[in-house]
Amino acid sequence: MAINQHFFRKTIIAGSGLFLCVFLVVHLSANLILVLPAAIARGLYNSYSTVLRESLFIQIIAYLLYASILLHVIYALLITLKNRKAKPQKYALNHYKQNSTWTSQNMGFLGTMILLFIVVHLANFWARIKLGLGAPVGLDAAGYQDVYEITNSLFHNIYFVCFYTLMAIPLGFHLHHGFKSAFKTLGFYHKKGLRIIANVALWYALIIGIGFGIIPFIVYFK
Amino acid sequence: MKIIFKIWRQDSPAEEGMLKTYEVDDLTEDMSILEALDHLNELLVLRDEKVIAFEYDCREGICGQCGIFINGRAHGPHDQITTCQLHLRSFNDGDTVVIEPWRAASFPVLKDLIVDRSAFDRIIESGAYISSKTGSAPEANAILIAKEVSDTAMDAAACIGCGACVATCKNSSAALFTSAKINHLNSLPQGESEAHKRVIEMTSQMEAEGFGSCTFTGACEVECPESISIVNIAEMNARIIKAKIFG
Repeated sequence: MAINQHFFRKTIIAGSGLFLCVFLVVHLSANLILVLPAAIARGLYNSYSTVLRESLFIQIIAYLLYASILLHVIYALLITLKNRKAKPQKYALNHYKQNSTWTSQNMGFLGTMILLFIVVHLANFWARIKLGLGAPVGLDAAGYQDVYEITNSLFHNIYFVCFYTLMAIPLGFHLHHGFKSAFKTLGFYHKKGLRIIANVALWYALIIGIGFGIIPFIVYFK
Repeated sequence: MKIIFKIWRQDSPAEEGMLKTYEVDDLTEDMSILEALDHLNELLVLRDEKVIAFEYDCREGICGQCGIFINGRAHGPHDQITTCQLHLRSFNDGDTVVIEPWRAASFPVLKDLIVDRSAFDRIIESGAYISSKTGSAPEANAILIAKEVSDTAMDAAACIGCGACVATCKNSSAALFTSAKINHLNSLPQGESEAHKRVIEMTSQMEAEGFGSCTFTGACEVECPESISIVNIAEMNARIIKAKIFG
């Protein structure tokens, strides 16, 4: 049987994208600890991150997460290159905003912004905590690695606060289109269901975008 | 009424094309855009210049021949109409109207505004038929079909193959066209026995023709003169999964 390359690639992008959508919910929920008073937040945040690092289940999920990001990026790149080949000549005049949203036409650009953010974000946290690069991580009163302190000091640097907040904007837009589009790619074609998914996508994108965008500011002014 | 046309002129697939400007007076707002092009061609004949090549047939919105990109939109500034249904009353006196052929690697320009859409024919040939005996029409009630099923099939069958979906899609995806043709036959009992083979063969041919993949911008359903919904594409994806598992 013939291999449907378009469908296979899109399925990988949609599947990995939805997995990352679930991850973002978990991540944002954990980040909410940061808005609590410092005395409570430090202990909770450090014990939570220690549990994550030491749990075998989470270690497996972490590898799934790395794989999802890589597959999402690589296949998006492959599809984009092929799609560009399919339209080698652009129109002299194209009012595409009259028939589609800007977001849906610029998912690649939005995705690149998010990837840029992920690289900086991983350099700030993952490289330091997991790989032990840069300044060593201190311990808190309970003897856990003081991840709270890393976050807290980072979000007291106004440049990083602005960077994290600004980068939540492309994330929100990317999620709005990606979330509802993924279901269609995976073959969900119930009309009423798709309308509900479109509404859920809007709320999901708003909550995730605003949530990740506002927490650094709250920490900064805390 | 005066219109300043900027029209794509290209002598052959091998040659480079360019937009050329033509100022045309004495048009009326009741003219269709095709009649305005006819009028311009008559002027060009009198001036001993090459006429502009463009396609048309029925001029009543059902044949799918007259697709061109007008002022940045497939079939012009309105949603869900064909080029022949566009009239000059949609423009103002003195407006500039830019006319280009469909742009897609799979639809090479043959001359001026005419593109080669035989890629669509090859997708049809690959599976949009039913291998059953032909002959006199069977008794109408021999195969019972529920109203909603026949409605779904008819909605998909309405596709006239104009190519606006490919033209407007940033990826030149033919997913709307192909899905309409697949869902038309696959939702009916007559098409069921070859359903899995049809969806795989037709989507494979769609890829072989070099069309891009669908990223659900939704532009195609806005420009489609027959209002084919992009839900058809999601349904096609479900049919691919079904065919892979049960086919």
